[in-house]
Amino acid sequence: MQIIIQGLLLSGLYALIAMGFTLIFSVGRVLNLAYGAYLMIGGYVYFTFSQTLGVPKLAGLLLAAMVGCIVGLLKYRLLVKPLKGNHVAVEISTLILAVVIQAAVVFIYGDSSKILLPIIPGVVQVAGASVTYNLLAATIGSWVILIGLFWFVRKTHMGRAMQAVSMDTKGAAISGVDPDKINMVTWGISGALGATAGVFFASYTQLSPSMWVAPLIIAVAVVIVGGIGSIIGALIVAHIIGFMEVTAVALIAPELRGVFTMLLIITVLIIRPQGLFGREELQ
Amino acid sequence: MNLRWYHFALWALFILVMALIPELVSKGTLRIIIFANFLAIFAISWDVLSGRTGYISFGHPFLIGIGAYTSAILTKRFDVPIEYAIPAAVLMTMVGGIIVFLPALRIKGSYFALVTLAFMELIYQLVQVVRPDLTGGTRGMSGIETLTRGAVNGYYLSASLMVVVALSMWLLMRTQLGTALSAIGMNEESVRGSGLSTTRLKLFAFLTSAFVAGLGGAFYVHYLGSIAPRALFDINFLFTIIVAALIGGASTIIGPVIGAFFLTFLLEYLRPYLPGAERYFIYGMIALVLYMYEPKGLIQLFSNAWNSLFSRRESAGNQNSDQAGKQSDAL
Amino acid sequence: MSIRTSTILAAMASAMIASAASAEIKVGFIGSLSSDTGLSTLRGAEIAIEELNADGGVLGQQIVLVKADTAEDPTEGVKAYEYLAESEEVDFIISGSIDDVSLGWLPRMQEFQIPTLDTWTSYVGIIDMIVEDYETMKPYFMNIASDEALATLYIDFGKDVLREKMGWKSVVILQEDTAFGGAINGLVTDALAPNAGIEVVDTIVYDITTNDFAPLFSRAQDSGADFIYLISSVNSQVVSSQYVKLQVPMGMTGVNVAALGQEFWEDTGGAAGGISTLSPVPSVGFKLDPVSQAFVDTYQAKYKSRPVMPHFNGFNAYHGVKQAMAAAEEAGGFNNTSWVTAMEKQDITLKLDGETWLRYAFWGNDEIEPRTGRTYPHNARFDITEPYNEASPSMVVIQWYEDGTSAVVYPDKYKTGEFTVPSWVKK
Repeated sequence: MQIIIQGLLLSGLYALIAMGFTLIFSVGRVLNLAYGAYLMIGGYVYFTFSQTLGVPKLAGLLLAAMVGCIVGLLKYRLLVKPLKGNHVAVEISTLILAVVIQAAVVFIYGDSSKILLPIIPGVVQVAGASVTYNLLAATIGSWVILIGLFWFVRKTHMGRAMQAVSMDTKGAAISGVDPDKINMVTWGISGALGATAGVFFASYTQLSPSMWVAPLIIAVAVVIVGGIGSIIGALIVAHIIGFMEVTAVALIAPELRGVFTMLLIITVLIIRPQGLFGREELQ
Repeated sequence: MNLRWYHFALWALFILVMALIPELVSKGTLRIIIFANFLAIFAISWDVLSGRTGYISFGHPFLIGIGAYTSAILTKRFDVPIEYAIPAAVLMTMVGGIIVFLPALRIKGSYFALVTLAFMELIYQLVQVVRPDLTGGTRGMSGIETLTRGAVNGYYLSASLMVVVALSMWLLMRTQLGTALSAIGMNEESVRGSGLSTTRLKLFAFLTSAFVAGLGGAFYVHYLGSIAPRALFDINFLFTIIVAALIGGASTIIGPVIGAFFLTFLLEYLRPYLPGAERYFIYGMIALVLYMYEPKGLIQLFSNAWNSLFSRRESAGNQNSDQAGKQSDAL
Repeated sequence: MSIRTSTILAAMASAMIASAASAEIKVGFIGSLSSDTGLSTLRGAEIAIEELNADGGVLGQQIVLVKADTAEDPTEGVKAYEYLAESEEVDFIISGSIDDVSLGWLPRMQEFQIPTLDTWTSYVGIIDMIVEDYETMKPYFMNIASDEALATLYIDFGKDVLREKMGWKSVVILQEDTAFGGAINGLVTDALAPNAGIEVVDTIVYDITTNDFAPLFSRAQDSGADFIYLISSVNSQVVSSQYVKLQVPMGMTGVNVAALGQEFWEDTGGAAGGISTLSPVPSVGFKLDPVSQAFVDTYQAKYKSRPVMPHFNGFNAYHGVKQAMAAAEEAGGFNNTSWVTAMEKQDITLKLDGETWLRYAFWGNDEIEPRTGRTYPHNARFDITEPYNEASPSMVVIQWYEDGTSAVVYPDKYKTGEFTVPSWVKK
């Protein structure tokens, strides 16, 4: 029972973390290795405004999302667009960017990690498991965002255009969709999602200059195992990974927690490269 | 092979300069060059695999780490003499190379990069958990036997190793084999279409890369005298290797060497002015801007400068500048 | 050229350069310039050097400090040590490095034979290296009590406070997967039951990158133990803040490095009440003797950024640099035989109200510590037997309260407050 509750909560958070990464990967076909840095930026922005300057929490969250969005847009304009079409160059330059952002965080905030106060304080015992309102809020928040995103992609004009670009960029361009604009919007949304996830993730764990690696790995795992272009797939896989981690900790050995995720990535990539739910193979 | 006189001349000049360096610079600088030499070896190893075939490896520290850890464990825990430990480490790394090769049978592009990243993370976690009595766990190991003492000896060893690796890889890449590997990077289908076994070619590239990585890793650990998982299986280490290869100029041999020297000296020369964290920020920014400006690397910049210099001097001397272009391309 | 001749030549060369260019004595700092740990050592050394220079320097020369950043990375640590040794040719190195970074540059220390003092690393494995190979390790000193001594005294705390005062009989150990964690865990597991009467019912080892402790705390609760013994020396912010956020209904004490600094309260946004940790001396909440107090006053007047209060290693660096310079004065330089002998004999006892309060001295090379029955050459002299008259205790236990204050709760001699558990834990 504890495993189910903790697994559900953790998986919701993982799904949110992975979503922004999935979007970019599906629409732009590039791996944004600086994605983890969005989470870090979101967390630190929220920390600066809400915890240090005393801005209300919701406003802090919005500010974090805004900064994330701006960073996403800038990244698209300054890095991705000039390197158009060269996936390797985008991957490498985003990796360099992540290291640069890490250095900037160390420079501004120092090496030592910081703890975010819970967005909603308090704790409740459910069937012997301690559940913080904070994580509960993060999980509910991530479900709301996920459903909203699903609706956006399926029902709105912009969302459908995104889907079109994701499936066939040239075809979409011929039918009057501007792929550049769609990409721009996607990078912005991805940045905002990443930064929001970062606030939840950091309030659950901690803020530190190296915090970008762990969520990046989670996002990578979800995208690889889920396959590109599938929001539902990403959601299911986030749950597989979340439950696998919680089970590993509770029943096997806590120190092997991450090992199973890595093994899953490797196995799936070798056996079914298009991912469990993906519709195509990436070239 | 298509060797020309200026190839010999340039290599001779390169070796001569490397041999004379200890007479010209201070010991502190020699120490910096030693790190640059090792980084150059790692970057060459990365380049042989990723620069040529286009299979981008984000897990190179995985291979280097196998070499380093194998040799460290053998000498420190089992008292194996270094002269046996290093070949054993290289063999182990080649086994690791085969492991990395397996996914390359089915996937490529970004997916391949990610699976190698997963390999690196996996071994990072396993090294700390499995048999910490052998690996030293999180703290790693210290007091590993070193091959040399003193900056000058360390320099000669690392420089000879680097020159031998660079020269042999350069010769190898000038054979038809090297051409075929580059062709895979451009269009794997057409290579297969022309009747060559891409699988065998790729396996060869992976094994060669692993061989160099293992060799470099083993010598590196016996230079450092210590090893820690956090220093090896680390995104920052990976970053330095890849950026060295790319900033210098991928798919050339001298490019990664130039890149390695550039990065190492950049970081060290910033030290007296910016002792703290801002050093890494500036360093990363310079790398990013340089890479964005010229993804083909410093070697391309040099070659452009060379060409424009010649064409300015005599506009009719096209032959000359062509030859100069070839010259730098060839290296 | 054989290795030995080259070393001797190198030593001669550096001696010649030192005497030729010797307008000054160079002290090198190695450590992270962006962590509280590194900055404590750096600033402690800076203050000591300022005071020494005001008094005319050492050997008639002024002292200058050169910094080398390790960014807490072992390979960067090696480069930093080489930079100090060969580019700057320093006479003495003061280190605020963390364990794996110190272990990274130790082979360089053995090669260059530069007098080096570590103020943060407490790994007893390094002391073992001195025992095994005194000749090459002898320029190395560690003026913090080794982790083994920390654990031994901690058992007494278990007996006197956890067992007798709190009435706790069983414990679940929550250990970060590090060599330090493993060593402490081994010592504690072996000694708690026979010496303190506390039974270890479960041991949970977790990876240092763990950032979700909910399942671990569930497992700890399921074990039915009376309290959690935490051993976390690397990444302890997360575990302690999640303990507070999850309001885990059992007491938790142990080793928690994040709780050592005055900034702990601020960093955790106040989610630190009820956390306790063992700490080397001095610590937050520790009553200071006049000399150490004067040091803190100077420190706080000089530095306005974090850490606002130096960690224990800042004190170690302050006294350690002064002792190293005094040893150089006695030995006539930093020659590694005469300086080492002089350094081994350094001894400062700081008193408060007539009682021995802190002591900066080293164990004799063959001196056997009575409780652990082993030698600790070049390790800070500590006293782990009441009434702690011989030297400082190896550790004290600090307690954070829910109002943001902190106090020392053990041993009795240094006590300024009471051991407690968070308000949500049923007593």
